[in-house]
Amino acid sequence: MIWIYIFILWLVYIVMTVSSLSYIKYQDHQILGVTLSKLNADNPEIKGIINSFKKLCYLILSFSMGFSLLLLMPFIRHYADFLMFFMMALNLFANWISINHHQKKLLTIKEQNKWIYSNKKIVTVDLNVSKVKGKSRISSVWIWIFLILSFIPMIFLLINSDMRKFYPLGFSFIGPVCQLLSTFLYYQMINQPSRIIGHKQESNLLFAQKYERINSTTATLTALSMLIFWILFSLSMLHIQNNFLIIVPITFLIIAVLTIENWHQKKIHKLEEAFTDISSEYEENIQEQESTWKWGCYYNPNDLRIFVPKRFASMGWTINIGRPIGKVLYFGTIALVFVVIIFLAYGGTKDYEIELEGSEMMIDATMYDISIEKEQINTVSIINQLPNGIRTNGYGGVNKSFGHFTFDKYGNCMLYVYNNVNQYVVIDLKGSNPNYIIINDKTMEETEALYQAINSWLSE
Amino acid sequence: MILEIDMAGDIPIYQQIRNQIVFGTATGRLKVGEPLPTVRQLASDIGVNPMTVNKAYGLLKDEGVIVIDRRHGAKINELPSADDGFINDNLTAEFEQRAALLISEARMKGVSQENLRVHLNILVDNIYNQKGEIL
Repeated sequence: MIWIYIFILWLVYIVMTVSSLSYIKYQDHQILGVTLSKLNADNPEIKGIINSFKKLCYLILSFSMGFSLLLLMPFIRHYADFLMFFMMALNLFANWISINHHQKKLLTIKEQNKWIYSNKKIVTVDLNVSKVKGKSRISSVWIWIFLILSFIPMIFLLINSDMRKFYPLGFSFIGPVCQLLSTFLYYQMINQPSRIIGHKQESNLLFAQKYERINSTTATLTALSMLIFWILFSLSMLHIQNNFLIIVPITFLIIAVLTIENWHQKKIHKLEEAFTDISSEYEENIQEQESTWKWGCYYNPNDLRIFVPKRFASMGWTINIGRPIGKVLYFGTIALVFVVIIFLAYGGTKDYEIELEGSEMMIDATMYDISIEKEQINTVSIINQLPNGIRTNGYGGVNKSFGHFTFDKYGNCMLYVYNNVNQYVVIDLKGSNPNYIIINDKTMEETEALYQAINSWLSE
Repeated sequence: MILEIDMAGDIPIYQQIRNQIVFGTATGRLKVGEPLPTVRQLASDIGVNPMTVNKAYGLLKDEGVIVIDRRHGAKINELPSADDGFINDNLTAEFEQRAALLISEARMKGVSQENLRVHLNILVDNIYNQKGEIL
């Protein structure tokens, strides 16, 4: 079980490293977010910094992967859920420090060599390109078809109500919502301002048409990957009782998105190279872009867009925190991440508290407390193995699982168990909401003691 | 034709769009009957509110530089013949006021009368002969 978590961690680390390494590609007159002309970007000093950045990226990856093996140690495993997020945050922080450090180095070289570009914020628009915009893109029909197809799992659940115990209906909304986000991404990508590479109308037109084609193909392929992921994920939820296989669609999505992103970058890079001679006439018009970035985020109150391309070209989208809605979205997302981390830290480390007082039994667990009356209990038994089942609404961590679960033979259950203890007290309840409560304690002995305590409480 | 909009400049963006389309039309970079992008498209490309472009197009329409058709959008209007004078006294006064201010500014910066005449002649020649560039 722990190896699945380590594998997920490694996947995250690899994604972060690939993202960091893509920042050193010369795109949109930038390397690592620092504005440089093509000529200056080829300077040996700059090349040296890029090599040092590459080495540090691989070092951080190796160190992070090695560090994640600490999760195999028994005394650390108790905090594994929280530690996973901590390790991810640490890796992100290390990459951020590395980027920041190398950015500063680039800026120092830029200052020493007096490579000064215009600070003016000039927007260049070719009227002829604007007029034909939208004519070279992949049709939006595909995106809407993908959105409609993402409702298939939901329709299936509406027809087959008995399957909802494995796959709650509310859960089936996630796919269409993600697909809707892909649709939004498509329209954002095709509505990007056309890039102007020179004064020649024909070249601008050709460049813009190819650029639009690549962007719309990327957005369409991303939406298709999202749909395939969603169908595979739904299938694994409905027909496969083995939780491990859920990793397959997730791995597919990560690999597909990375491949598409890589293809997109290569295509854009090739396109820019093909037009290098023509774009060189615009070298003197390179504009400094640092001033629109604040605290590592895009900050431009004069830009009406809320979602803008990232500082590193082709790395997706970010929020313009210069706009009030952008601020709300940005800080809202940060707050949400903190809530999840606090929940994981608290839920993953806090022990269950089972109290037997008077005629009431109370189980205290983060967000899933329950209390039952003595008279609601039919029987209490002890088992050594849980039947096959899935989580419907609850927490499934490395050490603990609690919340609403559905098991073969038992149906709807409330589960409060430590995963490494193979002994469970099963409390059969009158009524069906839930049918059973399944609990255990940190050791076999303590579980046995708990069973005895419940029995003696019942006989009082 | 390429528009270059200074987003941080003192001149309002709608005024910059209007000015550059006027220059483009007068110098022949925009041909008579040539369609302009839609308000929404141009606004999206510049990264401004469509109202800004709409205001610029409104000004150009009022000045007779463009015509706006509900079905076909905005396009460059016919140029008036160049042998007429100003249409009315108000326009004459306005032009003289603006030109006088520019000439005064040149004078204050130490430009000689002769030099200024040469510059003005080149400008007038370029625009009236539709050489494509202002300077």
